[in-house]
Amino acid sequence: MKRQYADLHLTPNIRDFQQVSVVVNKAAQLGYHLIALLFPPNTTQEELKQIQTACKEAKLDLATRIDLKPRTPNDLTYNLRQFRRKFEIIAVLCESKNVARQAAKDHRVDLLSFPSTDFRQRFFDMAEAELASESQASLEINTRPLLTLEGPARARLLASLRKEAAIAKGFKVPIIISSGTSNGLLMRKPQEQAVLAQLFDLDRECALDAVSRNPIGIVTRNRQKLSPKFIAPGIRLVKKGKDC
Amino acid sequence: MQVDSTEAVDQTQLMNALWNSITKLYGEHGASQTGLTLIEYDPDKKLAVIRTNNAALNMTRASIATITKIEEKPVAIHVLAISGTIKALHKNLRQ
Repeated sequence: MKRQYADLHLTPNIRDFQQVSVVVNKAAQLGYHLIALLFPPNTTQEELKQIQTACKEAKLDLATRIDLKPRTPNDLTYNLRQFRRKFEIIAVLCESKNVARQAAKDHRVDLLSFPSTDFRQRFFDMAEAELASESQASLEINTRPLLTLEGPARARLLASLRKEAAIAKGFKVPIIISSGTSNGLLMRKPQEQAVLAQLFDLDRECALDAVSRNPIGIVTRNRQKLSPKFIAPGIRLVKKGKDC
Repeated sequence: MQVDSTEAVDQTQLMNALWNSITKLYGEHGASQTGLTLIEYDPDKKLAVIRTNNAALNMTRASIATITKIEEKPVAIHVLAISGTIKALHKNLRQ
């Protein structure tokens, strides 16, 4: 079956419809089938509908995403309770070890993200990977810093990513590769994203899965869970009424 | 490959950007392994055909993907097709 590609981290200003259109059209042009846009918590239904229409015209599937940046594990738990049923993808930007551990343990978190420039705040180690493997959280890697950084900074980032990718592979934690940009010129075709992943020694199949199967799997799983017919994992409501 | 830019880019600027990108990522040793050559370039359509060694294909592709500027002009370069012969490449592009 032909692969379908997804970019789960596009960050145009949702209130600037022109910028959103540019990004959506660019994603369609580059060959993506599904994109996730970063929405603020107070997005209105009208704004969402407008963007959904733009994606439909570009023949793209849209997923809603929120990025949480909690300061403490309690903050994270509170935010997850508030937002889990409102957004299809929840990513946590882990800026402390406690938050990273809590995010990896919590089944409501889809993506674990770490700051790309501060290497002391990259907490994806073996303990983190073990927790993430049990809770179905995925490691997200944005390619934007790989394009914008140069010299020693990029070399250090690649070294960190190489270590993290190896740990993720060892613990079977899915890796997601996303653009992480609002600038159309920093977006790349899915095959080019996969080639960039090979810079930190991710093999070709894993890299292609990171831009196709893994992100689409997360969105499909969450849509099933958010569906009104969902009861529990493996159990869904098929028919309701008197003659069941 | 397609050069995505609002400004004009000539072939010298393009090849310099490619060589610089490869050298930055893989060093002079890596760059020497690519055998990079420009076959043709259409400055109006901003379409270029380049030749690289098969073994260095991934290196070249990664280097192309990391180009964000050509002489301070913001650009993105997208690989449209890869082929073993120029004839088959043109056929693919036409389709």
